[in-house]
Amino acid sequence: MIEVRNLTKIFNRGKFNETAAVLDVSLKVKDRSIVALTGPSGCGKTTLLSMIGLILTPTSGEILYDGENVLLASDFWRTMFRRQSFGFIFQHINLLPQYTTLENILLPLYSSDVDPWEYEGKAREWLSRLGIADRAEHLVEQLSGGEQQRAAFVRALIKEPKYIFADEPTVFVDEETSRIIYNVFSSLRDSGKTVLLSTHDPELMKIADETYRFCKGRLV
Amino acid sequence: MRCMIRKHKNLLNYSFDCLRRYRMRTAVILITFLVATTMISAVLFTKDGLEREAELSVQSAPDLTLQYLKGGRVEPINASYISLISEIPGVEKVLKRTWGYAGIGKYTFVVVGLDPDGLDYSRGVITSLEDGRFLTPEDEGTGNIVIGKLLAYMLNVKVGDDIILLSESVETNKFHVVGLFSDASSIYTADMILMSLGDANKFFSMPEGQVTDLCVYVSPSEDPATVASRMNSIPNLRVLDQDLLLRGYKAAYGARGGIFTTLWTILLVAIALIAFSQAIVVGHESQFEVGLLKTFGFSTLDIIEVRLAESLVIGFFATSLGMLLGFSYAAFLNAPGLVDILLGWAYLPREFRLPVYVSLQSVFSIYAVTVIPLLITTVVPAWLNAITDPELAMRRAAA
Repeated sequence: MIEVRNLTKIFNRGKFNETAAVLDVSLKVKDRSIVALTGPSGCGKTTLLSMIGLILTPTSGEILYDGENVLLASDFWRTMFRRQSFGFIFQHINLLPQYTTLENILLPLYSSDVDPWEYEGKAREWLSRLGIADRAEHLVEQLSGGEQQRAAFVRALIKEPKYIFADEPTVFVDEETSRIIYNVFSSLRDSGKTVLLSTHDPELMKIADETYRFCKGRLV
Repeated sequence: MRCMIRKHKNLLNYSFDCLRRYRMRTAVILITFLVATTMISAVLFTKDGLEREAELSVQSAPDLTLQYLKGGRVEPINASYISLISEIPGVEKVLKRTWGYAGIGKYTFVVVGLDPDGLDYSRGVITSLEDGRFLTPEDEGTGNIVIGKLLAYMLNVKVGDDIILLSESVETNKFHVVGLFSDASSIYTADMILMSLGDANKFFSMPEGQVTDLCVYVSPSEDPATVASRMNSIPNLRVLDQDLLLRGYKAAYGARGGIFTTLWTILLVAIALIAFSQAIVVGHESQFEVGLLKTFGFSTLDIIEVRLAESLVIGFFATSLGMLLGFSYAAFLNAPGLVDILLGWAYLPREFRLPVYVSLQSVFSIYAVTVIPLLITTVVPAWLNAITDPELAMRRAAA
């Protein structure tokens, strides 16, 4: 289980442009569930997601994974934890443009002690499930927005992480791709994964087990 | 252990992918480093070769060389000094020598006159010949000479031919070539005309009983410096030992090489700036990539390893190739454009090889001035990005 206690993030602290992105947020995310964070743009959803995903250091507060405050651990330990347990789906997709779809998907495996290309079959299987098997050898720039989003999904899932963080996963995709994404999230939950996502999409909120609403960095 | 090797192999593969992906940066660094290291290594290897030649040459020089000073200037020395010097403990042999320069056309050559009767061929004289014979006591005053290969090539003469030299008194002197020095790479015999002492004295119109200097050979059991100190009491005498001669040679070539090294150091700074600017050009892309990799679980050390491998591969490849080209440029093409500055000679025919020598010191120096700046300009920004929160690194890159 993930537990967040009094989490606060203030950017540019003490400067003229100081911005409080997240203020004193506490929430719980049960294992094998889908939790949605929602609210207007700029309310701090992405910042909160990034902090829980350990890619942004909070100004104050605690983040507990199975009861352990991971913020007390070293940067190296948190990196290892991310490597083993996390998968990220970004709002802006963040595929490397000079790589092919398949190369992008295998990229997270380069920091591990396995041969990334041993996962090629698994990657192709996922691509097939998401309907873009024929795009495996294409460069990212040759893919449509929806195809890129689906490729980013496969990249996040290739290591079979326990926790999946998805930031506005359906914001740039069409209805068909959205439907595929809903199904993938549901099946991930059914297979024991925990999904934490931020979204404006009412359909996506429907499949969530729990929804937290934000406004101006606070839980409402 | 196998897992660790696998991981490092993955990181190395990723580094190679980066070199392929950032093609423009790779090409710019490769070309600029190649040009710079080619020129620097050509200069340094040639300078090293000349210095090494100087060392070899000094080894075959007399233990001590004595000159006469008058008013601080070098003047011919009276041969009567020989008896005085010979009585000094430790002195084994004293030989007379007369030398100077002779012009043939627009070229200048070194004329050396030695007493063939007193020559000790086992030490102090270069006697290795390609053709003909060395001077003997019978050659005294006959006009027989042994010449260097460069001279033979430029005048198109061989053993058995005659050459005409214009003497000090502007008279034509005919000489007969009886031998040809063999060592084509030796700078010091290349332009030499060796003749008997009598012929040299006549050629340079030396006053009766005088020569340009005296060559002193010390007993093997004695230290030349100690013997030299015993000569301090003799007035108006300058004593040159082998160390002093070597320092003089090295200073001459070192200074010429130093000028070029300075120029190329300036160029290298420019290269470092180019490398740095290239790093900036791809900086945002690289910053974003580092943030993304950190998100996937690449540690700071992994990021540094990737960038380090990238820089080392391209740096060592470009520098090594540059050194190879620089060596070829100097050794096989005789470094056109450099040779006249380094040697002080206006022309070196292709048949005559520059004495190129690759010293470990120069090799390490070249690697140091090329690879280290590249490492700094690529690894440091990557490290700074890697210690930043991944989310912030990606946001800054996207901004």
